[in-house]
Amino acid sequence: MTDVVMECRNLWKIYGNIIAVKDVSLEIREGDIKLIFGPSGSGKSTLLRCLAMLTTPTKGDVFLGEECLTKPGVDLNKARARIGFVFQHIWLFHHLTALGNVELGPRRTLKLPKREARERAMQALIEVRMKEWTKHYPAQLSGGQQQRVGIARALAMHPEIILLDEPTSALDPELTGEVIDTLKDLAKKGITMLIVSHEMPFAREVADEMIFFDEGTIIERGRPELFFTSPRSERAKKFMARLIKRTARG
Amino acid sequence: MDPINQLALILVGLPRTLAISILSFLLGLAIGLPLAFIRTYMGKPYQIVVDVYEKVLRGIPEVVLIFFVFYGLGLGLGFPLLKDALTAATFALGIRSGAHQSQIFRGAIRGIGEHQMVAARALGLSRLQAIIYVMAPQTFIIASPGLGSEYALLIKDSSYAFIIGVVEMMRQADRVRAATLDMVFPTLAATFLYILLTFPIATYLDMWGSRKKKQLGL
Repeated sequence: MTDVVMECRNLWKIYGNIIAVKDVSLEIREGDIKLIFGPSGSGKSTLLRCLAMLTTPTKGDVFLGEECLTKPGVDLNKARARIGFVFQHIWLFHHLTALGNVELGPRRTLKLPKREARERAMQALIEVRMKEWTKHYPAQLSGGQQQRVGIARALAMHPEIILLDEPTSALDPELTGEVIDTLKDLAKKGITMLIVSHEMPFAREVADEMIFFDEGTIIERGRPELFFTSPRSERAKKFMARLIKRTARG
Repeated sequence: MDPINQLALILVGLPRTLAISILSFLLGLAIGLPLAFIRTYMGKPYQIVVDVYEKVLRGIPEVVLIFFVFYGLGLGLGFPLLKDALTAATFALGIRSGAHQSQIFRGAIRGIGEHQMVAARALGLSRLQAIIYVMAPQTFIIASPGLGSEYALLIKDSSYAFIIGVVEMMRQADRVRAATLDMVFPTLAATFLYILLTFPIATYLDMWGSRKKKQLGL
């Protein structure tokens, strides 16, 4: 049995009287690629942010390997350095070049010497096929290129897992392909990923497990084939039908 | 006295004018930048302290502030450095500029948006590291036009140092006026010199900031 990289147990996140995440338990093992999908506003992003401890869960525990991140006194900066995060709206640092964006983490959180940090950043940019664009500022890159730099920024930290929050949904449709290709490359390399996405062909190709999420909780989970042939829950059935119709039209 | 000599005499005050304005600008920066981040990221008690600081220092007329620092703190209460008129004027204008710059930077931080902070924290940077490496550099770029105006303001306000006896440009212009009994030329010359000192820097920073903002999509 392979090792558990990340786990949450009975996780809740409540904002005032809104329950964003409701009693979610999830386990991700080394090399796993899990894909979360579901209606917008169902709490998928909040779940990811809780897992990276970018927002503090209201109840329940998050584990990174053996370490419980929800206990008081944990060095969360150290923990976050081991978790990659890719944002829907990319959020590159505007004032830094592509290379500057990618080497900031290795340089300042991992405290690598300048040369080593740069080598690592270059390696990551090569992996996302952005070698030619290292000196460009984010504003000079297309959305797809920016998101690939966003992925490289996470990769350069050599994280134990990468959490990706709808990495293609803010992009123009003709730019999603290059990002999807990058993610497929990472999948082939065996990188552990938890992805929120509605890219169904991609899901079918790379996901080990798909998780249907609605109203803050897991409604149904299983192998991709399950969802594409015979989802058990009525809600998942309806949602899949809508997604497939939309993809076919697009 | 011919105009060239008059001008030369007025320019004798230039180094002090520059010293007061540059040093008070830097003091204002050293106060204003941290205050802006404290006001943005720390708890309510800190916010109140910063607000009070800003309101009080912006509410006092420059002359009153300079008098208070020089006569009150320096000569009266005997703070050693403030007994010197040049230092007292620089200090007074510097702490007042700190209040201005705090507001300029705070607006800039708000303009950057919280997401840059979130992205930095997601990499494992501490809040202080995120401020140093991610927020502050962008804050400077966005704030540059405001900083240009603030610098121009300090060049102008440095002339208040005249009232506690600092021999800066305004003081020299006044001396020339008294010596020559020429009411027009010395004041006119001082006017042009002040415009010459303020206008290019303010304009340059404004243009640099706009160009940089455009380039970076800020």
